Amino acid sequence: MTQVPHELDVRPILRDGGEPFTVIMNAVMSLGPGQALRLLATFEPVPLYGVLGKKGFGHAAREIGGGDWEVVFTPAAAVADSRPTEPARPAVDRPSPSGWPEPSRHLDNRDLDPPEPLVRTLAAVEELQPGEVLAALLCREPVFLLPKLNERGHEWQGGFEADGKTYKLLVRKGTGKKAAA
Amino acid sequence: MIGVSPSRWTMSYFSVALLALIGAEALMVAGFGFPSQPVAAPETLVLVHLIAIGWLSLLVSGALVQFVPVLVAKPLAHPELPAVALVLLIAGLVGLMAGFLGMAGFNVGSMPWLPLGAISLTAGFLLNIWNLGRTLWLARPIHLPARFVAAGLVSLAGVAALGTIFSFALGGWTTNAALLRLTAVGIPLHAALGLGGWLTFTAMGVSYRLLAMFMLSPEAEHRTSQIAFVAGGAAILVVLIGGPVCLLVLRQGAGHPLLIALALATVSLGLYGQDMIRLYRTRKRRKIELNSRMAAWALGGLGLASLLLLALTVLGDVDRRIGAVVFLFAFGWLSALGLAKLYKIVAFLTWLECYGEVLGKRPTPRVQDLVNELRATPWFWLYFASVGAASIAAFLEAPLAFRIAAFGMLVATIKICVELVSTRTLRLVPAPMLPDGAHAKPGLFLPSLRESRR
Repeated sequence: MTQVPHELDVRPILRDGGEPFTVIMNAVMSLGPGQALRLLATFEPVPLYGVLGKKGFGHAAREIGGGDWEVVFTPAAAVADSRPTEPARPAVDRPSPSGWPEPSRHLDNRDLDPPEPLVRTLAAVEELQPGEVLAALLCREPVFLLPKLNERGHEWQGGFEADGKTYKLLVRKGTGKKAAA
Repeated sequence: MIGVSPSRWTMSYFSVALLALIGAEALMVAGFGFPSQPVAAPETLVLVHLIAIGWLSLLVSGALVQFVPVLVAKPLAHPELPAVALVLLIAGLVGLMAGFLGMAGFNVGSMPWLPLGAISLTAGFLLNIWNLGRTLWLARPIHLPARFVAAGLVSLAGVAALGTIFSFALGGWTTNAALLRLTAVGIPLHAALGLGGWLTFTAMGVSYRLLAMFMLSPEAEHRTSQIAFVAGGAAILVVLIGGPVCLLVLRQGAGHPLLIALALATVSLGLYGQDMIRLYRTRKRRKIELNSRMAAWALGGLGLASLLLLALTVLGDVDRRIGAVVFLFAFGWLSALGLAKLYKIVAFLTWLECYGEVLGKRPTPRVQDLVNELRATPWFWLYFASVGAASIAAFLEAPLAFRIAAFGMLVATIKICVELVSTRTLRLVPAPMLPDGAHAKPGLFLPSLRESRR
């Protein structure tokens, strides 16, 4: 199980204005059993944590200078070798993503009529200080909210909890600058 | 990109669709087509295709380019393709209408309208099938509502293929014996795939998610829903494959595959009905909005039309009454559901378009502030009452009574459209709450220029 991680550098794609998502997902599909993925990007690819978390990958991220990031995605099976009793869980089940502070505000939007969860979450994010984190519980993936968070330069990650019914969203307020597309 | 943005072309589809509905109802009031004229008359073909393509298919297509991304939480594969498809569909519909009018003896020139119209329509539908199909494919594994939509798209491909064959045969572009035989006896297959497989099955899939969303009902995937999908999907395949095989290989009529499909569809619809009753009963939201109340009546229309079709099949009286049953399917179920859901979707899309950028930053109206349900409700009642009266008149073969009832439908539809325009133009929003700048006046038909540059 000690395979060399597969290395994928998407920085050239990002610098050319391209969309590396497909390349990353193809690389993930081609990983051997237990093999990790070492990803190099020009920003911390926070949305990927949720996506790959759902596929059972944990992640460890570090800034490697020049604004670039290295993230190692490790499949849960490999992690489970050392902790065999713990089931694979989405990344969002962990207390908070690496480097993010604990949520300073919690919202439970599960019983609200649509589009009230969208409005309430955006309003609550507006009240945060830059860098602060909000945790929101929703009853479905907030497909219209996520692009709004991107447009406003906030970072987020989300995924369904183990019950498959509650979507947990973490939003870290940006500095007010528009996110790089 | 993760998440979805509203499709810019949905309102264009809806606008053309509503114009087609008003046009079709005006034709019915004028006594054009069934029941004033025979079911098989070219005038009836004009009317049927104006309703089935111009109104219902454009409505469902416009809704799908919006809703499929929501169903699978992924953006549309080709966001601008629906605009090209819409142009082809409108051009194709105009060609088809001209072709049928020519068959009815109207002077429409000597162009081969039917085959040209069918080619354009098929091209338009194929673009949308490709776009939506690719979006669904890239989002695999997909949930049950999205699988209903996928099956509906397969059915649409079958409808378009058969329609193109018919138009080539009627337009004299082919003398192939098999294609001529399909044209002579395959029309029930075309109609079953169109009304059943494409429009009804897709609407069923969409309603699982939409009704649950709007009423805060639990969305667990039940065994009944899975069997409803399998049975309905099998019904589509029986008609799509079994029908032509029976006609061309076994040299029989289309009766057997249609009967088997009806039996499968009955299982599917019965279980779907049970699922819908459960959705309404288990909803967390006690007081439901107009769109959900009216959708319940549309579901009743579907139940009634299905029972009538079954009863007539058992009694052996389908051929004589099929026009009235199809009318009830088209207006008591599909159109009613469509108008009810339009009332909500237009308000939501307008709200998101006008206030999306400032949500949470300044006070904004609620979606419900864009509509006046009290004012709209009587027109929905008039619509349902008129459809009921027109269905009875069609069953009793009373054309004058039908035309009077159709006038009620026309008035109700126009009034509902006035409500939609009022929503779209933010006429009910208090002045201090109006949006600023480019979003102050959303387009009724075309997306705003500002959005075009995105």
